[in-house]
This record gives sequence, C-alpha cells and structure tokens, in this order.
Amino acid sequence: MSKIIENLYYSKNDEWLKDEGNNIMVIGITDYAQDQLGDIVYVEEIKNGTKVSKGDVLTTVESVKAVSDVYSPISGEIVEVNQKVINEPSTLNQDPYGEGWFAKIKMSKPDEIKELMTSSEYNDFRKE
Amino acid sequence: MKLIFEKSIPGRVSFSLPDDLFEDIKIEDILPADFIEKDKKNLSEVSEVDVVRHFTKLSKYNYGVDDGLYPLGSCTMKYNPRINEKMAALNNFTKAHPFAPTELVQGSLEVMFELNKLLCEITGMDQFTMAPASGAHGELTGILIMRKYFLDQGQNRHKILIPDSAHGTNPASAAMGAFDVVEIKSNENGTVDIDALSKAMDEQTVGLMLTNPNTVGLYDEGIEQIEKIIHGKGGLLYYDGANLNASLGILRPGDTGFDIVHLNLHKTFSTPHGGGGPGSGVIGVKSNLIPYLPTPLVDFNPENNMYIFKEAGTKSIGMIRSFWGNFSVLVKTLCWILSLGPEHLYQASRNSIINANYVLTKLKDYYKPAYDRFCGHECTLTGREYKKYGIKTLQIAKRLMDYGYHPPTIYFPHFEPYADETIMIEPPESEGKEILDSFINVMIKISQEAKENPEILNSAPHVTPVSQTDDVLAVKQAILTYDDEIKNNDKLNYSDENINF
Amino acid sequence: MRYIPSTKEQQEEMLKAIGVTSFKQLIDSIPDSVKLKRKLNIPSALSEFELDDKISMISQKNVNFQKFKPLVGAGAYRHFIPEAQKALLQRQEFWTCYTPYQPELSQGTLQSMFEYQSYIARLTKMEVVVPSIFDGASASAEAILMSLRLTHKNKIIVSTLIHPHYLETIKTYLAPHNIIIEEISSENGLTSLEKLKQSIDNDTACILVQSPNFFGGIESIKTFSEIAHQKDILLIQVITESMSLGLLKSPGDMGADIVVGNTQSFGLELDFGGPHNAFLATRKKYIRQIPGRIAGETTDKNGKRCFVMTFRAREQDIRREKATSNICTNHNLNVIASNIYLSLMGTEGLYQYSLLNAKKAHYFEKKLLETGKFVTKYKYPYFNEFLITYKGKDMERLKKVLIDNGFVPPLLIQKFYSDTPLQNTLLFAITEIFSRNELDSICNLLSQ
Repeated sequence: MSKIIENLYYSKNDEWLKDEGNNIMVIGITDYAQDQLGDIVYVEEIKNGTKVSKGDVLTTVESVKAVSDVYSPISGEIVEVNQKVINEPSTLNQDPYGEGWFAKIKMSKPDEIKELMTSSEYNDFRKE
Repeated sequence: MKLIFEKSIPGRVSFSLPDDLFEDIKIEDILPADFIEKDKKNLSEVSEVDVVRHFTKLSKYNYGVDDGLYPLGSCTMKYNPRINEKMAALNNFTKAHPFAPTELVQGSLEVMFELNKLLCEITGMDQFTMAPASGAHGELTGILIMRKYFLDQGQNRHKILIPDSAHGTNPASAAMGAFDVVEIKSNENGTVDIDALSKAMDEQTVGLMLTNPNTVGLYDEGIEQIEKIIHGKGGLLYYDGANLNASLGILRPGDTGFDIVHLNLHKTFSTPHGGGGPGSGVIGVKSNLIPYLPTPLVDFNPENNMYIFKEAGTKSIGMIRSFWGNFSVLVKTLCWILSLGPEHLYQASRNSIINANYVLTKLKDYYKPAYDRFCGHECTLTGREYKKYGIKTLQIAKRLMDYGYHPPTIYFPHFEPYADETIMIEPPESEGKEILDSFINVMIKISQEAKENPEILNSAPHVTPVSQTDDVLAVKQAILTYDDEIKNNDKLNYSDENINF
Repeated sequence: MRYIPSTKEQQEEMLKAIGVTSFKQLIDSIPDSVKLKRKLNIPSALSEFELDDKISMISQKNVNFQKFKPLVGAGAYRHFIPEAQKALLQRQEFWTCYTPYQPELSQGTLQSMFEYQSYIARLTKMEVVVPSIFDGASASAEAILMSLRLTHKNKIIVSTLIHPHYLETIKTYLAPHNIIIEEISSENGLTSLEKLKQSIDNDTACILVQSPNFFGGIESIKTFSEIAHQKDILLIQVITESMSLGLLKSPGDMGADIVVGNTQSFGLELDFGGPHNAFLATRKKYIRQIPGRIAGETTDKNGKRCFVMTFRAREQDIRREKATSNICTNHNLNVIASNIYLSLMGTEGLYQYSLLNAKKAHYFEKKLLETGKFVTKYKYPYFNEFLITYKGKDMERLKKVLIDNGFVPPLLIQKFYSDTPLQNTLLFAITEIFSRNELDSICNLLSQ
C-alpha cells in the first residue's frame, strides 16, 4: 500500500504539492510514483528562476527500466531547487515526501489549486 | 571471468610480421611528428593461444540457437542453416570491393537482382531496396519515403498513426522523421480499434504503421477496413514485417493494401541474429513509390547482358548508409529462399502457427492468455496470477534458465488492460514437437513452483555463469571501459573470487 | 524439410490437441479476400548440393577476388584477417544468439562488448564508446543528431572532404529537421581553415570533419577543435580508416568531442560494402544523449563481476518517440569480430601494421612519381591513401592494364569531385597486404 500524506495537494500525474504560504508551493512525486519507477538513478537538472506553465515538463526522472517526465502541476516561477535530489537521486525512493522534494514554485495563478486533488481524492484515484 | 587486459603479459605477441619492414622509408620523413602518437596505444599483450582460449571460454557463457529453444516472441529465432554461411563466406563475395568496376562484380549484382525478384513475389511488392541495415533502419527509410512523397504532392502532412501495441522502434523512427505520433488504442480483441482509427485519420496524417500479425501475434481481421480508412484520406500504409513468419505463402502484404513493407532478414529469413546483428531491413514499395527509394538500385541491361547500378532519380530520398547493403546477409537470404521453394516457405509459416497455437493450448490453464483466440506464429500469455504469490513475471523467465531454456519475451508488448505482465512465446518452425513438449512441461512445473516454492523463482537463476545482475549499480558506477574500472579500483576491491568463473 | 522437424503425424497430433480438425481453422481470422490463392511463383526447392552449385557459379561471375587486390580504399580497406579470428567466430554461441537482454545467458557477448569499448577508448582517448552503429555514414548522422540535441542549435558545418556517401546520408537523415548544412570546401587536399572560420557562428551546433579525409589527408583536428570550442561548438571527427588509429594522434588528445569510426579495417571483410560497423565515442558528460547500445560493468547478487547493457532508458523500447535514436539491432557480431582482431594484433601488432601501411603507401607513391607518368596533385600529410594525377591521356587503358593483371583499379576521383583541377586524378590506397615486389611490378605496368 503506497503512502499518502494528508494536508498535501495531489495531481493526476502523481505529484504532491505542499503549501508553504506566500503563494509558494513545494513540489515532489508521490510514493506510488517512485515505487512504479523502481530505483531512480538520474534526475535532470532544474534551473532556478525558470518560469513554468501548468503542464510544462519540470524535470525528467530516470530509473533502470523507465523514464518519466515530471510535469509542473501549477504555473509560476521556480524560486528554489533541491540539489540533493539531483545529486542523490535515490533520495526520491527513500523519502519522497520529505527530502525528495524537487522545487519550490511561486504561483502565478493561485486559482489553479482548485484543480488539484486532496489526499483522500488522490487515494481514491490511485485505488482504481 | 578475467578480461583480456588482465591476462596480458608484457612482451607477449599474437601477430606476425614479414621480414621486409620497409626500413628504407623513415616515418619522420613521411609524417610530421605532430601527427604521430609518441607512445604506443596500449591494447593487450597476449599470445595467439591465449586469445583462442579466452574467446573459446567466453563463448561458453553464451546461449545460442544451436543450444536449444529460444522462444522469443517477435524475434523468430530459427535455425541458421550452415550451407548459407558457407555461400556467404565464398572469397569472391567476401573480398569484393564495393567500388570495384561493375564488370568485375557481376555475381554480387546478380545476387541482389535475383533476391529483389524473389522478395517482390513473396510479399506482393514491386521493388525492393537492399540498403537498410536493420528493421528500424528500414522503418526510417520508409518514413522518409512517405515524407518526401507527400511533400512532392504539395501536401504538408505532419502526423503518423501508430498502434499502442507497436514495437518501440516504430514511434522512435517516426520521431526521427519529425512526425507527430498519434497512438491508436487496441480493442478488446487485441487489434486496431477501427473507430479510433477512423477518427484519427485525416489529411494531415501520412498514414499508419502496422504490424500484421501484430505484436501480440494476432492477425488484424480489420485489415480491409483499415486499408479503406487510410487510403480513403490519401494516406499510405506501412507494413512492419517483423512478424512475416506467420504469412509466407498464406498472404502477401502487397495484396492487402500495404504501400511500403520492411522485412527483417534476420528474423523470417533465417539469417543469424549475431548477438544483435548484423541483420538487414530491406524495404519493398509499390510502383508509385519506386522513384523515392534510396540510391542506387541494381538493374539488368538486356542489350549487353550485364547487371548495373542505376542511380535513382531526383525524387530519391538519397542514401541512408554507405555503399549498397548488408551483402552477406542478402546471400544467406537468397540461399534460404532457394532451399525452401514455394512448398516449404508455406510449411515454415504453417508450422510456426501450429507450434504457437499448440503451446498456447497447452499452457492457457497455467498462464492466462492475453487474448482468448487463436494466435499467429507467436502467443501472448501472462504471468498475472502469480503476483499473489509474490512472483513477478520476470522471475518466471529467470527460472526457465535453470532448466536450460532462454526465456521468452517478457513485458513486451505492454498495453493495458490485456497485454500486461506478458510472456510472448514464439516457437519457430525449426522447433519439433518434442522440444515444445519439454518446454511446456517445464513451464507447468514452474507454475507449480510459483505456488509451492516461490523463493526458488525469486532467487533464480541458479545454474547460469552469473546470477541476477545489479542493473542499478551499473548505471550508478558507470564503468564502461577497463580504464574506468582501474580508476575505481579502491571502491571495487575485486578479489579473484569475484572474477574467476 | 530438414529445417522443419515436425513430421506430418506430429503436426496432426498438435492440431488435435489444439482442438481443430484442420490448419485452416487457425487462420480463419484472415479475411478470405486477402488470402493467397495460388502457390508462390518462385523456383522449386533446391537440394543442398544444387544450391551449393548454383550460388558457387554465381560467385564465379565475379573475378577471383582472393587474387584481385584492391588499389582502392575510399571507405573500405582490404587488410589481412588472422585465421584464428575466423575460427573463433565460427563458434555458434557468438553468432546464433540473440541481443544480450538476459545477461545471465550472455556474458560472452557482453564481456566482448566491454573489452572492445575499452580498446576503442584507448585508441581514441575518449571516455565513452558506443560499440556499434551500422556504418560510418549512419553513425555520422547520429553524431550530428546528438550534437543538435546537446546544443539546441540549427546549423551544422561539414567538410566536403568527408566520404561522399557519408555526406549524402547526413543530408537524408537531416532532411526532416530544418537544419542548415554548410559545406566547407577544400584547399590543396585539406579542409579550408579560412572558409571554416568564416562559416562558424552562434547558431552552429557542430563541425564535422574526416581525418584522414576522403583524399587520405590528415587534418589539423587540434586547430579545428580550438576554433570550435571558442564558440561552444562540438567537434566531430570521422574516421573511415581505423587502422590509422594505430599510429596517429588520438582524437581525444586533439580535442574532438565526438568521434565516429568505421571499423571495417578491424577484422571485417569487404563484403561488397556491408555489413561493416562503426563506433561512436564521446565524453562521459554526454552519456545520456548517445544513440545505441552500450555495455557496463556491475556485479551479480553473489558479488561476481559481470557485464550488462546499461543506460538503457535512452533506448527505443523504453523511451519510444523520445529515444535518442530508433536503433535496435545493430552490427553486434562485428563488435566481437573486431574485438578478437584487436586482441590478436595487440599493442605491438596494431602499431607495426599501421606503420607498414603508412610506409608501403609512401613507398608506392615515390615509385609512381619515379615512373615519370604521374605527378603529385596536392602535397599533404597522409596515412595510407593519397591522390595522384596521371600525366597520360588514356585512363581507360590504365584501368584495363590493372584489371588484366589482377588488380582492382584506384578510384577516379572525378566520380565524386567533378571540379576541373581533379581530372585524371586517382585515389590510391595501399595496405600491408602488398609486397615490395608487387608494388614495384604495379609501377612497372603503369609506366608503360
């Protein structure tokens, strides 16, 4: 049973978002996603300061048997990047909700939150 | 096992030199010092005896078709006849220089010309190019032909339709042709969803790439409708010939509406797989596409009874490789076709279909088939029921190795919901019934082991030279040459035990 | 039929077990309208001895190529292949097997790939080696596509002195991609440095130059790479005569970013142009953009060192339309063939043979000039291939004399370069297979 944390938002592409206040959201991938990928060996560089639109590719995550694009679930500007995940990709497997965050994005369209799922909605979504 | 570098002893030689070393020509007189490497490049220093022993031992760590069944779906691992090898190795063929004047290579040109005629008759196409070096290379060639054909018509078609069941090379080749790939879902019969196809096909689409029988081994009974839909909007139909082994003498892609066909000579036509090639992916087209074929083609001039190279015209897509084709592979193909003739080509397909359906019938109660219908020359079973015992389909495959078999194709094709945890078995016509029976018995045994003793599957294989490999470590440490290993010596700390086996 | 073991009885048993009364029921899903209703119109099956006769007779319509040594190279070079290599390649485990996706059953293939990658890395002084792309032409195209992915730029610069087939292939591969291809012409047998400097700009992804070039000339790769790197442009060096790596400075030391090498000279037959093989070597930092298959070292669960195909996430079966290339089956057996060849040559052997190639070619050129019937077209440093102009008028007679005496004539360079200064100019290649006597008698023939 993959882990789901309450108080986070979720996207259909298995990303989680944490509201840090000040319109800043922390983004990561869920336990389900990292489990599907298997041992993650590579995360593509994310450039701080990049402006993204909802649905843009944020980064690419590579395991031995698969490659997955991670999409930005919201629009905004990347204000911080987690170098740890880039340097030690296995962090994503070990701690997907904690140390395994990718980036912090300052939202340009806060209304987009309405399109995201709650933890129980994501739980149901993934149960299928 | 030790690498050749670890067997090197300074001063050992495995080569020979003539007496006359042209000492009268001084290297410093003929080449500037700037261009010459100061120190010799360090390869290995072993004797000829060492080399022979090294590679003899290495070969024993491989498993070949001559060792036993190789039931890899979509690979058609059939027997590689020895007479074909002998013919391809004739000196007049192997030592022919590609730029020799054509009057000196009439035999080589005849091989190419005759093979073209045979392949046209077998597939129902009008002309083949022998240039592509592999199936994927053939796909790229076909895609470039489609692209140029429509540009010539003044049409800007930028999309291409590819079933979700397609081999990965199809979309990869389409991308190399700068096409947008539109994926067409398969229906519950495992074949192309006609509705979805009809909706997707339009005048911005060049056409459809189709494998038939498809990658799960099923004939697409909708082929007539598919042809109407694609041609109806002015598109072209491309045939991925990887599965032609189900169709020899039974049907011809050219008769079913295909405009471009690629063949995998190293599959259907018995040429050796070589551990990953060389094969050949020759392309056949209908007459309206001949002008687009890569240059040159082989032709025959009846006025002087000579074979010639004919440069393609201005519509040709150009060259897709250097020289003319994978010639030795063409010789072997010619030999195989001439050895079988029409009667046995049909028997080859007939037997491959009987074999696959026999395995399907005998194993369907143990490994639920992806689709409940007769298959072509390969059957797709699944390992889904064993998940509840903690067994992944991968481990079923690995356990087969303990019984002396090369595993079938696993996890391909993969498209939900039926083609999931797939085990695709292709027992070509060169496998006799008793071989199939032994294989079936072992598969049944493994299915019992999965329930009663799952640990033995999860820890398999046990009897192979190496056991489960750490693929994650391979990427992490990225040791891709011996010098990489030397650089990492401290971390690796190998003892002889880690190396010698 | 001897390749189809199951007897009629066995086939009947199988049909019965399947639960059908006839084979036709198994192919019911094929619409009747598309089924073939006649026998294929091809010749009846030949017995093995008839096939042997027929194909041998066809081969006799070629000249006796064992005897006919080629004075032409132009991307395909006849070198001696040691018999031990041929014997080892006969081992069915090397050539009847499949792609090494199951490493537990494929250590022979995988270790051979690893050893070969190691050899090529040392010969080129590059860090990462893709051991097999079909040939130098498609490998050059892949190298260019790779450089476009790495730089996101729109223009490439190519020397006109690369193999004409390679240039053609590059154009074919690039046709769908809206890329500007600028060709740099030559000066005195080498790529023009001046024209190159004028061509480069901020939109240039790579410069592709062959060395030794199509005329045999050795280019100043170091200078080219310095110019390229000033503008973050990738330098791609193409090699058609890999034997040159035994003697000449390594591309890595000269600053090449990607090296593409046709390895037909490493133990592969001429085979009328294919199948040959090519490597693509590059820097480790570009590893995720390389096309094709590569072997890497790891351990198994018992700690044993072993080899696997690695960095697979780039490949077509995983990445599909986002793969770095569509390449699947390559020319892997030729990797093993070249690996065995290089093992048999060894450090000293490859060096000595390279030396012989260079010396014999230069000896021959000297002798040709001494006949008074030839004159040097351009003076440039070369390895084993060079241009020379025939002072006489009758090129046909020259060709006939050579053929009548059992030699494949050199290439008339105007076949590919129709510029006026290159009339009556021949491209000769001389490898180790010619003895001094032979070279002397060829000059004798040509002096008459």
